Amino acid sequence: MDASPLLKVEDLVLYFRTTRGVVQAVDKVNLCLEDNHAIVIVGESGCGKSSLAKAILRLLPKNVQSYQGKVFLDQVDIMAMNDEEFRKNVRWQWLSMVPQAAMNSLNPVLTIGDQVTEPFILHTSASKAEALLQAKKMFDYVGIPESFLYRYTFELSGGMRQRSAIAMSLITMPKLIVLDEPTSALDVLTQANIFNMLKRLKQELAISFILITHDIATSSEIADSVAVMYAGQIVEINNATRFFIEPLHPYSRKLMDSVPRLHGDKEPDFIVGRPPSLVNLPTGCRFKDRCPDRFGKCSHEPPMTLAKDHLVKCWLYEV
Amino acid sequence: MNKSFRDILKYPSVIVGLLIIVALILVSIFTVIAIPYDEAIKLWRGNEADWYKNPKTAGPVWLNWFSREKLPETIIIDADEAGIEKTIKETQSGQIITMSIPIRFDFDVYAEDMTLYFQSNFEEKAPFIGLKWTFPDGEEIGIGNFSINRKFSYRLNQERKITNKLKGLVASQGLFTNLKEKENKPWKGDYTLTIEAITFDKTANVQAELIIYGQLSGWAGTDTLRRDLGIALLWGTPIALMFGLLAAVGTSLFQITIAGISTWFGGWVDTLLQRITEINLVLPFLPMLIMIGTFYSRSIFVILSAVILLSIFGQGVKTFRAAFLQIKEAPYIEAAKAYGASDISIIMRYMIPRVLPMLIPQFIVLIPSYVFLEASLAILGLGDPTLPTWGKVIQDAESNGALYQGWYYWVIEPSILLMLTGLAFSMVGYALDRVFNPRLREE
Amino acid sequence: MKKSEPLSNSRGESEGVIQNLALSTTIRVLKYSGIRLLSLVFTVIIGIYLTILIANMGGYVDTIRLAQIREDVNMRMASNPAFRSLTAEERTNLASAEIENQAHAIGLDKPFLVRSFNFLKNAITLNLGRAFHMVSNAGANEVRLIILERLPSTLVLFATADIVLFFSALFVALGLSRQYGSFFDKLSVALTPLSSAPGWFYGIFLILIFASILKVLPFGGMVSSPPPPTRIGYLFSLLEHMILPIAAYTVSSLFLSIFSWRTFFLIYSSEDYVDMAKAKGLMARDIQNKYILRPTLPTIITSFALLVIASWTGAPIFETVFNWPGLGRALYQAVGLFDTPVIIGETVIFSYMLMITVFLLDFVYALVDPRIKLGEV
Repeated sequence: MDASPLLKVEDLVLYFRTTRGVVQAVDKVNLCLEDNHAIVIVGESGCGKSSLAKAILRLLPKNVQSYQGKVFLDQVDIMAMNDEEFRKNVRWQWLSMVPQAAMNSLNPVLTIGDQVTEPFILHTSASKAEALLQAKKMFDYVGIPESFLYRYTFELSGGMRQRSAIAMSLITMPKLIVLDEPTSALDVLTQANIFNMLKRLKQELAISFILITHDIATSSEIADSVAVMYAGQIVEINNATRFFIEPLHPYSRKLMDSVPRLHGDKEPDFIVGRPPSLVNLPTGCRFKDRCPDRFGKCSHEPPMTLAKDHLVKCWLYEV
Repeated sequence: MNKSFRDILKYPSVIVGLLIIVALILVSIFTVIAIPYDEAIKLWRGNEADWYKNPKTAGPVWLNWFSREKLPETIIIDADEAGIEKTIKETQSGQIITMSIPIRFDFDVYAEDMTLYFQSNFEEKAPFIGLKWTFPDGEEIGIGNFSINRKFSYRLNQERKITNKLKGLVASQGLFTNLKEKENKPWKGDYTLTIEAITFDKTANVQAELIIYGQLSGWAGTDTLRRDLGIALLWGTPIALMFGLLAAVGTSLFQITIAGISTWFGGWVDTLLQRITEINLVLPFLPMLIMIGTFYSRSIFVILSAVILLSIFGQGVKTFRAAFLQIKEAPYIEAAKAYGASDISIIMRYMIPRVLPMLIPQFIVLIPSYVFLEASLAILGLGDPTLPTWGKVIQDAESNGALYQGWYYWVIEPSILLMLTGLAFSMVGYALDRVFNPRLREE
Repeated sequence: MKKSEPLSNSRGESEGVIQNLALSTTIRVLKYSGIRLLSLVFTVIIGIYLTILIANMGGYVDTIRLAQIREDVNMRMASNPAFRSLTAEERTNLASAEIENQAHAIGLDKPFLVRSFNFLKNAITLNLGRAFHMVSNAGANEVRLIILERLPSTLVLFATADIVLFFSALFVALGLSRQYGSFFDKLSVALTPLSSAPGWFYGIFLILIFASILKVLPFGGMVSSPPPPTRIGYLFSLLEHMILPIAAYTVSSLFLSIFSWRTFFLIYSSEDYVDMAKAKGLMARDIQNKYILRPTLPTIITSFALLVIASWTGAPIFETVFNWPGLGRALYQAVGLFDTPVIIGETVIFSYMLMITVFLLDFVYALVDPRIKLGEV
């Protein structure tokens, strides 16, 4: 990795306290992201990827058991800031977010314009009129007509809502945008449109993305790096091209095998079993119960090894 | 289901509430058995003959536990009781019957009133009575010479002659005061009332009963008509529970049926029923009940029916309908229809059980509102005139100005019962709501 | 209101569109309110008709109208010198004939349903003739005057009480939702069953404690008697007399409202858009007002509406307990005197009160919730 990445996450930990026990949702995650790069974090439901987003964005629920680690954004450890500093300086100025495309992510009783201009007014002390101008510019980027600023959430289609959310995430020109399953609830055509728009934005505005998804196929278009998450841990990180050609970790391989291809006769494969519960985690390698290449050493937790320019957490690649 | 019950019992308020409800039910059962309805009505609507032994507006006897000054309870002594000296001396034409009634007075406050009730079965000439009162220090005064009838009441407090002898104090006060002292306060000690009855035929006898009306009587006190309030309070319990329960059950069942029909048939049936619900919203509930009660009948069954009728298109229909609508669109209903389940079986096996948990807490919380409604109607003067209910007691109290006169117990006792009933059902109902209603459940 | 014109700079364009938004909101609210008003008026008419039907099943409405006719005829005969020369018997016969004529003219001998429709028109305008026993403060005995005279007192009391209740419950519920699980939160939940008793019930006890025993507040009534001469004095006396009734009203309804609304707030605070607001860096107060309070308001208003409507049910006893000279106490008095015209009139006016309450709250609901559509309730 380069000397000064935009984002460096070190040993990020987020555990929740629940009635069933402690959920180790994010278990010592390490990540790097370059400037104007997009990293895609893939994994099954329940692997902790949404919690990772929440951990980076500091959107914590009331039942947090443990929240530690370092997150360097432009070499500043934002984890070390207190809540008020974080709110004033980081939120939406350095880090913004595009939520899942649900009806619930936008306030139903405020107009779209109100919500989109809010962070801009808050962080730049602009007037409402100036903020609306900025919002209009953003809407131009994402391809929505200006009149939608004066509509309410329920008047918009799913695709329009997501575009508004993306415009909202851009309005303060943050350094990094975290997108949490931005297109899961949309139809394929809209998905494709939105990903094309994201690609364009990355080019035109030089923003960096963290894209969290379980849809490898669509996200492959925009990814510069790929990180695979399993049971609260990152098990493989690499540059996208190399990853898609040759995934190393057995889980990554199985994931890629399960994606249907446009060409060729190969039938998609599936992985036996279920991911482990984040409350009762097995010792050793967390994938060992479902891994076809399991062997003796797997009963101990493997370290993150550098192999063929990938970072892999697997004993198979031990040097 | 089992887990739900265990969840419910986790709340202490539920335990308290359930205990109170069980207590109320036990009281109701006891009352209905121990004081059968006819007897209760007789006691409540009876007449002087049943009430004469009670003082007017006396507080409950347990007030003495709380006050430093001991208030007198009613003392009733029948001269024919064992232990009362009764000597008979024969005379020419009849007898002289002398009765010595000992009275022990050790209260700090005077009694309300004193009356001697005589009964005699003479043939021609009425017996002649002479009364003598002996103070604790032995001093005697005569307090009356008169002849009696077959049934005669000698009200000592109303006899001027006695009052004049007692420094202007009425009998119930003066006869228990040391007149030689300056202060007028009760003189604790043993007194004797000697009754000398002169009869004029051999077979005549005279029965006397002395009643010194205390300031306290019974476990609940009495009202201005000398009725023991305990009867009304006891009998009010089953009546209140019955009214509340029947009204709540009737209303809820009808509402859930209407909601079911409305969602099931949809279309114009749904629209019509919704419009009726809106009309019901602006119908003034209590004034209409008042009209019915004033113009037509105040019988509790008529009122109960009117209450249910005016309530069935109320707010509950909307809530149930919303729940039914959700269920109707649920995939498992579609699946059931797909595999050919009949309408009835779908309603019975899927829809109603899903809504039932929502119904129960609502219906339980509804009960106290109907109990208070019945009390409200009674206070307005529209209660069933034949039934002794808690509301009726409060109404009697209000119309006799109980609060101004300081007869607080008259208002407080039925109010506490109303409050307990309301609290008990509410506590249980709200706890059930928290358990059964998933949206309100707190993780 | 002017529609926006395309101006040369975009800033003006934005402002123009903002004005357009305000205009469209106003139109939406007015349209909705208008239709609701019509529908409510229709509903009230049906309600009043039902009232007439119930009353007239025992012929009570006919009795009122007959009594009115009789009184009119007799008055006219007494004041007309032409009739004085007749004998008593002739006069009586003439009167009966005239009464019958009039009764026939307004259709008192027509079938039941027709009669009731005839009276409906009168009832709607509160033209209910004269009271049998009751009199207005000025001495008139027209039902309409008696009732309308007492209307302001009731409005003053109930409007103030409702405002006090709404804002205190809202404020406390909002505060409690922030401190979920704290002592005060648990306390308010535990106090919820207190709402099972109606306001008049607590009224009796408050009067007992504060008026009878402590003697710091008046027993009842609206102002002290004789009323203070100055405006300020009158206002203070009014406020003093409102303390106990409003306290009773509030105790009865407060805790349940706090519990329900705080639960609503808790539910609505876990919505995704609240997280978004946090992520955007909004201050806690803004999040509370714009992302929790505003979206929850429609639900709260519906809940409040039901509460207010239910409180009208207790009005007769409530006012009687506090000896408040309003519509409720008038109804109580009418019952005691069996004054049929007033009873029916009171029922009609209560229907109007309910209608106005529902309408006002619907109006506020439309203001607060942009999702409201016509035809949706």
